[in-house]
Amino acid sequence: MLSLEEAMAQTLTHDFPGASAGAAARAEVPWHIWAGVVAVSSIMFGLYWDISWHQTIGRDTFWTPAHLAIHFGGILAAITCTYLIFSTTFGHDAEAKATSVGVWGFRGPLGAFLTAWGGVTMLTSAPFDNWWHNSFGLDVEILSPPHVVLGVGIMGVGIGSLLLLVSAMNRAQGITKQRLNAMFLYTSGILLVLHMIIVSEYSDGSFMHSSIFYKIHAFGVPVLLVGFGRGSGRRWGATIVASIYMAIFLLGLWIFPFFPATPKLGPVFTNVTHMVPMGFPVLLIFPAILMDIVLNRTSGRNAWFQALLLGTVFVAGLLAVQWPFGDFMISTHARNAVFGQNYFPYAFPPSLYKLVWEFQLDASPGVFWKGMGIAWALAVASSRIGVAFGERLSRLRR
Amino acid sequence: MKMKLRRFITLLLSLAIASACFAHVGSPDVYFQGQAGAYNIVVVVRTPQMIPGVAEIEIRSDKPGIRTVKIVPLYIIGPGSKYPPPPDVLQPTPGDSQFFTGKLWLMGSGSWEVRIEVDDDNGTATLAVPVPAAARNTLPMQRSLGILLLGLMTLLVVAIVSILGASRREGQLEPGAQAGPQQKRAAKIVMLVALVIVIALLAAGRWWWLDKSSSDSARKIYQPPKLSVSLDQSGKLLLHMGESPWHTRRPDTVMTALIPDHGHLMHLFLVRMPAMDRFYHLHPAQVGPEDFSDDLGMITPGHYQVFADIVRASGFPDTMVAETDLPGNGSAFGAFGRGSPDDSEASAAALSEASADNLTAPLADGGRMIWEREPGALSANKLLWFKFSVEDAGGVPSQNLEPYMGMAGHAEFIRSDFSVFAHVHPDGSAPMAAVNLANANFAAQGSMMAAMPGMQLGLHKLSAEVSFPYGFPKAGLYRIFVQVKRNGHVETGVFDAHVN
Repeated sequence: MLSLEEAMAQTLTHDFPGASAGAAARAEVPWHIWAGVVAVSSIMFGLYWDISWHQTIGRDTFWTPAHLAIHFGGILAAITCTYLIFSTTFGHDAEAKATSVGVWGFRGPLGAFLTAWGGVTMLTSAPFDNWWHNSFGLDVEILSPPHVVLGVGIMGVGIGSLLLLVSAMNRAQGITKQRLNAMFLYTSGILLVLHMIIVSEYSDGSFMHSSIFYKIHAFGVPVLLVGFGRGSGRRWGATIVASIYMAIFLLGLWIFPFFPATPKLGPVFTNVTHMVPMGFPVLLIFPAILMDIVLNRTSGRNAWFQALLLGTVFVAGLLAVQWPFGDFMISTHARNAVFGQNYFPYAFPPSLYKLVWEFQLDASPGVFWKGMGIAWALAVASSRIGVAFGERLSRLRR
Repeated sequence: MKMKLRRFITLLLSLAIASACFAHVGSPDVYFQGQAGAYNIVVVVRTPQMIPGVAEIEIRSDKPGIRTVKIVPLYIIGPGSKYPPPPDVLQPTPGDSQFFTGKLWLMGSGSWEVRIEVDDDNGTATLAVPVPAAARNTLPMQRSLGILLLGLMTLLVVAIVSILGASRREGQLEPGAQAGPQQKRAAKIVMLVALVIVIALLAAGRWWWLDKSSSDSARKIYQPPKLSVSLDQSGKLLLHMGESPWHTRRPDTVMTALIPDHGHLMHLFLVRMPAMDRFYHLHPAQVGPEDFSDDLGMITPGHYQVFADIVRASGFPDTMVAETDLPGNGSAFGAFGRGSPDDSEASAAALSEASADNLTAPLADGGRMIWEREPGALSANKLLWFKFSVEDAGGVPSQNLEPYMGMAGHAEFIRSDFSVFAHVHPDGSAPMAAVNLANANFAAQGSMMAAMPGMQLGLHKLSAEVSFPYGFPKAGLYRIFVQVKRNGHVETGVFDAHVN
């Protein structure tokens, strides 16, 4: 991961010409920002691993390594931020106090409060999830109410860690700013991965000709792409963030199957001999390129006008690439280790493979186009939120 | 509003059917005894109320010597029966080398078997136990947990609103600058808007939760087919099985087609309410895909509880429940027992607490049945051995017991309020049809069944004693109908039991 950041850092000089002045100097990244990046990476990796674990091994306890990676990330972030808040509130560090905000009499960086909030939300999901398991059965789905609470908590930790980073980045100069910007893009990519994991049940090739695919992705992705793209201050911010998401998903898809594993639970419907990865990534890089172009050409224009264009190019761009790509993904050509359409969880009966290899279409073309209209409206609305989010990110100082 | 009300009612209904239970009524645990090599083992599986879930499994052997006990759960037939997962090793109990316990993961509703592998110094022996798994009910949230979660939710809402306020008030200030009145006012507006949005999101979340929980309940919770009971003009009993969407939704793991159990597609029990003083065990004939009929003959008039046992092609058992009024005469079919030679009936005094200590029951042929009950009170949720001996009219242990539908005996346990009904054999609570399917699947996959010395299935030496492994699911007053066959006639001993 570091090498990725470093590689990116080297490409940043174009966007930060002032950085060259301090190039000889050493980047000074505060330790708590590193802790945040490690925490978010650990949570992301743990979550991906956990889903693969459920698809491959099945048996779930609190102590699976995947869960431990998630907990480690949450605990690292929570401890870091609690320390930051207490040391700022009760310590004598004038600079820390000067770059803090106040919540309930405590002082600390804004990101620290949000991260701590995310940590408590993650904790809250635990007894809720336990009850849900007892009441509605052990995990067989990603989108359940307690998992949404956990997801909101994880996003709280993730965005909190990002805010910590952004406020430092916006105050920094030279090579430190350059390094922090690379870390910002990387962390943004991780947050996009987390979001895409949550909605992954609707990202399959079989949904690519249905409006639900476009509605689900229009609901949240533009907020992140526009927000991060604009917040990064880079010409191709959204494109880089989308690329990082795709790279991580592709690495997961291509590397996880190298690890042998067998199910530890019955019924075993599909004979699994290795870790089953998540699916091929959504081709977000293409709508992201269009969004970056719009952002670059409409800088300073009315935010609603921007959002209208951004939402439109997002849905149009997604439709333009995913529609033909869907045809490919349900074909036999995609049933290989590169595109992953031949991987099925152990509990997936062969009689249901067709659900992955056939389009799950809307009831009628009318329903589809109505759904696409909703997707477009959602994309515009979430782009507008993204514009505001990016604006706030770029102005954050504390 | 209408939609909301409908969802709420659906949710309530889904909770109200909690008492509905597959495989018997109100008695979801599995009790089974069988031979694994040189060991006679008794298996108890305490199934979870929700599937997917984790069952508790207990295994007791009749003698020491077992080194390890391994278990593997898989479906009895269909695609889920092909690839057994690696076995789990049960834990021996400290100080009791004959008792092993462990957990059994049941990840889907349907007809499962647990393959038990017993290792000792001489080798490995196996046994397959059918375990029907179905979600019984959802768990209401405990008050304390509800209060905790409500408190945390309130805290988190107030906190996120405060954080967003702080963000607007101070987030964009240069280091060291103080928030002015403009920032403070803007922060208040942000907090107000955030509060409205968060409350709206929570309301949407609540709607989704209610919608999801009601649809989850409707999809997952087991429901037996509705059974309608009527009499035609000639006095013939007609039974119609209603739709069973729970079953049709599970074509691979439950199935809808029926297979015979002890040679009959349906075992029908009529028990007169409320005293349980008349009892009929009948075997209606199938006259259509969902229809059965029985030439009832003369029976004692009254209001009857109906329990109808069937077994699906997967080995999954259902007990359908109904109530009906039956007139005692007017039947064109003459005396009782014209339907099937395996039909039987019994009469007894009304069920009462007073009769709960009576361990001797008279039999119709002049003999008697004695409950060889161990001293002490009966406890719920505990494996008990119900041993009964049969004596002839002269008080001599009966020498002429014969198999009744292939078994040494049949016992029906019924709670006074009819909320529990279990049809048990000397092998335990699993239907023989399911036992046969489970072992056939095991054998087909290269198990050592055929090669196992001492491995027997369903064979019982017909001594004057018959015994049943079973555990009462809850406290209360029960009536036990114990049925054996001798001299070509089915004899029924009736006992009452008070369970703590």
